[in-house]
Amino acid sequence: MNRNIVRYAAAVLLLAVGLLLPTITGGGGTTTLLEQVFTFGAFAMSYDLLLGFTGIISFGHAMFFGTGAYIMGICLVRGNASTLSFVCGAMLAVVVSVMLSLVVAFLSLRMKDTYFAMITLAVGQTFYVLAGSRALQPWTNANDGITVFVPDWLNSDYAIYCLCFLFCVAVAFLLFQFVKSPVGVILKGIRDNESRMVALGHSVFRYKTAAFVISGIVATLAGALFVIAEMFVSTQVFDVSTSINVLLMTIIGGTGTLFGGLLGAAVILIAQSEFSTLAGTYPMFNDYMILFGVLYVLVVLFLPRGILGTILQERGRRRWTTRFLNSNR
Amino acid sequence: MDVFLTLVIGGIGDGALYFLIAAGLTLIFGLLQVINFAHGGLYLWGAYMATFLYAVTHQFWLALIVGAGAGAVLGIAMERGLLGRLYHHGTNQILITMGVMLILSEFVKVPFGVNGLNAPTPSFLSHSWLVGHVVLVEYQWFTIVVGAMVYLVLHWLLRRTRLGMVIRAGVENAGLVEACGIPIRNVFTVVFALGAALAGFAGALAGPYFGSVTPGMGLDMQLTAFIIVVIGGMGSVQGALVGSLLVGVVTSFMSFYFPSLSVLVTVLVMAVVLLVRPQGLFGEARAAA
Repeated sequence: MNRNIVRYAAAVLLLAVGLLLPTITGGGGTTTLLEQVFTFGAFAMSYDLLLGFTGIISFGHAMFFGTGAYIMGICLVRGNASTLSFVCGAMLAVVVSVMLSLVVAFLSLRMKDTYFAMITLAVGQTFYVLAGSRALQPWTNANDGITVFVPDWLNSDYAIYCLCFLFCVAVAFLLFQFVKSPVGVILKGIRDNESRMVALGHSVFRYKTAAFVISGIVATLAGALFVIAEMFVSTQVFDVSTSINVLLMTIIGGTGTLFGGLLGAAVILIAQSEFSTLAGTYPMFNDYMILFGVLYVLVVLFLPRGILGTILQERGRRRWTTRFLNSNR
Repeated sequence: MDVFLTLVIGGIGDGALYFLIAAGLTLIFGLLQVINFAHGGLYLWGAYMATFLYAVTHQFWLALIVGAGAGAVLGIAMERGLLGRLYHHGTNQILITMGVMLILSEFVKVPFGVNGLNAPTPSFLSHSWLVGHVVLVEYQWFTIVVGAMVYLVLHWLLRRTRLGMVIRAGVENAGLVEACGIPIRNVFTVVFALGAALAGFAGALAGPYFGSVTPGMGLDMQLTAFIIVVIGGMGSVQGALVGSLLVGVVTSFMSFYFPSLSVLVTVLVMAVVLLVRPQGLFGEARAAA
């Protein structure tokens, strides 16, 4: 009981600090960066559901992010930035993401995991080309991108920040409940030993599909928020580099830890913005993607649990050894 | 009819180039059970090294050999340095090869810039003829002939040599081959180097074929190659050939008649194949599931 009170107090405190963060750090660029951290954090957590909890790799997760961004952008433009168009955009984004994820899952999840990685990469790249194609220009404005206006009640940095922050908290909470649920446990079972889960009579394909659909919905909504935070959307959201970025965030933060995605998003986005500032004076920092690539390979090779995963592992080890020593005494 | 013939020849030319990439990819997957997500990066480096060398020395054959060599060296380094320690760890293998792809395609921008280079066709291959109303481009025919020769050599290698026998046996059961006293790890390296050399060689050919080399060409080609091996069946060289020609000809027709749809069509073909025959046209069911 006492522990619960402490937990609730901590949660409320965390929420309050989160909501007040922009006033502490000062507005402008920092708030924009924080908005990005929270949208990409939610995106990365949705990705961790696939990579860290189900053990399947998608190289095309940007297709959801981009779909959400474009649907929300187009809805807001067509609906003259009314609140109704915002709600319609969010709902339509969810419906489309469910259909998209079901189609891709049906095509690729029945086979080996390597197929899934290849097919998501190919489908994701198709979206990139389609978004920039002439045929869809009336909707997507091809390579020029769309400038978006937001409803009045969202028309301040702080309002948008609160929306992003609360969305990220909600996603973190719901996904955490999900991975603790019986379905989440089965997903971890699939990750650790797929053939055993088949032998136990679980329909592995259905569970993987469920994970993919849920992950897709969250990623799509994160994309929809991203366009609101940036007030602009271009084909860049579908680019393979977006998929790689979210992969990088998840891996560096820690696969299979859920909240690692948020941590990774913060690390990567802050590093990116620092590098872009540095590149102004030292042009060599324009090539920071190479550094990220090397870092990525090194993390996969030598720190496969990422930052948060390694911390949790160390903490677990220390707890276990102290308890062991105490009981011996 | 003339348009038809021109499009078919163009499609076969593209297909010949695709085949060189897809064959390496499918060979590596068949034996090592690794999908090399850095294959496009090897192709990219082959293309840049060959184009750079040709611009400096004007030695076309030397440029081709160096392109293949660049692919092979990178491939051996990858297999020995990174993949070797990760066998039986599928997820991390996929992640590592994608990381190498990222590094290779970003690093190429450092010495050569982001805008790409012109890749001129050597003068002795730059003729073209008009037969009736059909355009015959010499370099296209050269590519087709080279593609056909590579297919025949691969076929001979796999079916008529001792190494090919070991490779085919390794595809069936690598553990058993090792138990027979054959150092299967070395065979892995040889096959990976062979596939990587094919990718680098294809890159060296592709420069003059498309007229220029750009940092994005690796990923584009890799995606096409993935679609091809999924259509043809992973692990099958015949499948790679049929898939390459199919994708080449279909893309050639679609980009002429419905240019806006040409992107979708290859993905749709892949989707249909996956629905009807998930293991691909020439694949074996157990390799897919």
